[in-house]
Amino acid sequence: MNPVNIFPLIGVGDVVIGLSLGSRLFLIAVGLSLIFGVLGVLNFAHGALYMLGAYFALSVVTNVVGNFWLAIVVGAIAVGIVGAAIEVVTIRPLYERAESDLDQLIVTFGFVLITHEAVRFIWGSQPYSTPMPDALNFTMSIGGSQFTAYRLFVIIAAALVMVGLWLFIKRTYFGSLVRGTSSDREMASMLGVDVPRLYTAVFFAGSFLAGLGGALAAPMQSIGPNLGEAVIIDAFIIVVIGGLGSLSGAFVGAMFVGMMQSIVPQFFDAGSIAVPFLAMVIVLLLKPEGLFGGIGE
Amino acid sequence: MWLTVVDNNITDGADGIESSISRTGYDRRTFLKTATAGAGLASIAGCLGGGSGGSGSVTLGAMNILSGFASLYGEEAERGYDLAVEEINNNGGIDGNDVEVIVRDTEADSGTATQQMTSLIEEDGVDGLMGLDSSGVAQNIAPQIKQSQMPLMITHAATPYVTSPEGESEDSVGNDYVFRCSNTVAHDMYGAAQVASELDATDWATIGPDYAFGYDTWAYFQAFAEGMGVDANFTTEQYPPLATSDYSAYISSILDADPDAVITPLWGSDLTTFLGQAEDSGWFEQIDHTLFSVGMGTDLPSDGSPLPEGEWASTRYDPFVPDTEENNTFLEAYMEEYDTLPTYNAEGAYRAVYLYKKAIEEGGSTNAGDLVDQFSGMQHTGPVGEYEFTETNQASVASIWGEVTYSDEYESNVLEPVERYEAAPADVRGALEGSDLPPGL
Repeated sequence: MNPVNIFPLIGVGDVVIGLSLGSRLFLIAVGLSLIFGVLGVLNFAHGALYMLGAYFALSVVTNVVGNFWLAIVVGAIAVGIVGAAIEVVTIRPLYERAESDLDQLIVTFGFVLITHEAVRFIWGSQPYSTPMPDALNFTMSIGGSQFTAYRLFVIIAAALVMVGLWLFIKRTYFGSLVRGTSSDREMASMLGVDVPRLYTAVFFAGSFLAGLGGALAAPMQSIGPNLGEAVIIDAFIIVVIGGLGSLSGAFVGAMFVGMMQSIVPQFFDAGSIAVPFLAMVIVLLLKPEGLFGGIGE
Repeated sequence: MWLTVVDNNITDGADGIESSISRTGYDRRTFLKTATAGAGLASIAGCLGGGSGGSGSVTLGAMNILSGFASLYGEEAERGYDLAVEEINNNGGIDGNDVEVIVRDTEADSGTATQQMTSLIEEDGVDGLMGLDSSGVAQNIAPQIKQSQMPLMITHAATPYVTSPEGESEDSVGNDYVFRCSNTVAHDMYGAAQVASELDATDWATIGPDYAFGYDTWAYFQAFAEGMGVDANFTTEQYPPLATSDYSAYISSILDADPDAVITPLWGSDLTTFLGQAEDSGWFEQIDHTLFSVGMGTDLPSDGSPLPEGEWASTRYDPFVPDTEENNTFLEAYMEEYDTLPTYNAEGAYRAVYLYKKAIEEGGSTNAGDLVDQFSGMQHTGPVGEYEFTETNQASVASIWGEVTYSDEYESNVLEPVERYEAAPADVRGALEGSDLPPGL
């Protein structure tokens, strides 16, 4: 049994840590939710794409130009291209199959294994770390706790991604096509929407977000071949909590789990591995469709 | 947020894109098991180069982690096996016969390790077994080793329970067929308590991985500190899960308790992640001493985030100590072959092959019973130094702790000064008296 600390104190620092944890989780989960929401594809390779984002960023920083900001952009775009290629070559032929759900799972899961081995082949198994950009490599004290400016930057970046995506989906022509196609693919197709191309674009966007998450996380943690495995479970849990296919759900779900992960260690010595699962159970019991989801058929 | 579908009319309002949800029954456990198994299969496929040892050769079976979270451990061990095999076969083999090592992937999973063990014994006809990185796997496989009556030389897994005779404690699984040439958590913490006695620190805390290794490290550290009369209070414990990507909350909890010193058995990429985040949180300004019990481990990047200089770390083998012919020869050969300092995992694996060579040549047989007889009480000198196998089949190797510094020459952390604490079985047992922890040696 874990002894409970008698006088735990939740301070401002713990809230900032919670936001920081939540931001990282959101960046992992949002692309997964987007792809599922529009394409109906549960992309098991999402964690692997996140990992690739970290590795691509690492390679740009250490081998190519040494510019971290460029590494983030290159990492995200490169992963987007990998994702789009996966969609065009392997997932597109499966949409019309009767058992397409299972086939998609198997195919995307295959990419998890392929990516894992490819990473080991190219970069090896040893963990790498990448330095923080100089401009944000200083510490600030908030609520008695010390934080790097980079950690606060990631919180802001996640919020900007949330707002940007929301505006994109709600306020742009392409966003309306995405919404329409996600609701009724056949109708959209009859109205002249190039659905296959739109699906590829959405898969690119979801993969881009995974790559962005990985690239942004690169300076904050070690980069190893297991990185994808470690995050995919959290991503799935968050989209279930938030509601499959819901952008706001992914954001709120991620922040909820992040805050719980920040607060639980202040009370308990161990067992925090159960936090995301506990959160999921609570949400599923109270609202089976997720916090922001409709009930899927 | 995005839309709802009401009788196929699109209306704004609800927050979410709806889509049909497939129910696959694909749960987390299945996912992880399949992922690991799949990755493992891919690795195994690359490791099946060797055939069974025919007459006129000695075949040894090695079981290490070659895929997934800790695959670097297996890769390091393979280097050690390969180097030993190359040296031995270029110098007359074992009693004139070539030696071959077949390395298999345990995937850090007891079930897989058992299958590999059976396959190595029954299909490959190996003369002996070695390896094992995971304490959990070692503990589960030890009884089966006894059943198969095949000697096993553990080269890395550090739980004291596999060299604690069955019956000594509830979890003890030591038996006549299981040997270990590397050191244990008990050795390591015996040295840690000696370091603690020399430091100006009273309040101690720990942050370790959330499984037996993390808990055992803290339990043994406390038991030795108490048994050796170290002036220490034990305050906060934190056990984050393996593969945690952000330690901020755990770091915050420890810093809130404000201990003088912390001992941490975090390892591998977890340690790398922790180090960067601890540095950012002001950990090393606030906490006077941090002891890294796996600090000089296999997988700390030499150029990424080396351990902070001036802190303490332990290792199971130091490339520069002892300054003996055996160690210098090994260091030179390893550096020439791999262009990096040898890790303790590579050294343990290397030494295990030589232990088999010695046992076979001195006993004149590859018969399992004869090998066990030879290993029992064997005295040996390897890169790690001189040692012998105790009555519980544990090598009486030293506990090695030192201060972390960075070597420009080797582009790696090294320990300087480094201290070898000779963990004599009687001393270790004496220090643990009164606790319910088995010494395992």
